[in-house]
Amino acid sequence: MLDHVTDLTPITALGATAARAESFGALTVTENAGLGLASLALRKGQSAPQPFGLPLPGVGTAVSMGDYAAFWTGRDQWMVEATGKAEVNFAAMLKSEAPECSLTEQTDGFTAFEIASSQGAAPIEALMRKLVNIDPKAFGPGQATRTGLEHMTVFLIRRADDRLAVIGMRTLAGSLWHALAVAARRLED
Amino acid sequence: MLIPHPLLGLRDSQEFTYLGDASLMQRPDASAENAEAQFCDYVFLRDNPAGVHRELWFHEQGDRSWLVVTRDTTTHEILGAELALDVKGAAK
Repeated sequence: MLDHVTDLTPITALGATAARAESFGALTVTENAGLGLASLALRKGQSAPQPFGLPLPGVGTAVSMGDYAAFWTGRDQWMVEATGKAEVNFAAMLKSEAPECSLTEQTDGFTAFEIASSQGAAPIEALMRKLVNIDPKAFGPGQATRTGLEHMTVFLIRRADDRLAVIGMRTLAGSLWHALAVAARRLED
Repeated sequence: MLIPHPLLGLRDSQEFTYLGDASLMQRPDASAENAEAQFCDYVFLRDNPAGVHRELWFHEQGDRSWLVVTRDTTTHEILGAELALDVKGAAK
């Protein structure tokens, strides 16, 4: 029987064995294949827990502490992020931090692309103006939202002045990368 | 067209899907004696005003909240938006 066990090679959302990274002028887009995700929702009348010491953020914002981060996704709902926890059962880890809440594993549903600028906020804001109908000036560090990007739904997190994370549906990873890459490439001209 | 979301501020109307008349939130009591007639009206009858209209919008590409949006059907001006959850809570 053991003869039939195949050596399985894990692949990223973009189908490669290594996470993709590409630079376009001042912007670098990197596939964050290691990001663990789980959603957390309060049940009726519950107060917000502090998983991993994270104070869950208010409307339209995000917080991060060490390897953990969380952003608001709806009333009494958050997405919790964990660096390098894509290959472990992160939802179970979160469950032990917030046993009363409703938790769902989300790592396998999404793909995260991290965009970094080497020239401050301006290239990030220029890219946002091309791609989403969200005012980049009002979307400063610590802001997070869900919106449409080329008919796909994405979460945007402004991790810093010069950093933006785009988290989209995993099955659309190729299309989302294409959208980001084309827009970033055009900004080079 | 921009929808003034009560939590998130001005948002592109393309992020929303439209359901219809906000009176749909007043679902008849299924245990009432004339429930059949009431549900018949609830399902099939709608006011079609030329002017101010309260309607349900879903923030599908956003925080997935239901809003009650007040819109002028003759000018498409958006006069206000409230969370449907708050509207329902206030009615109780």
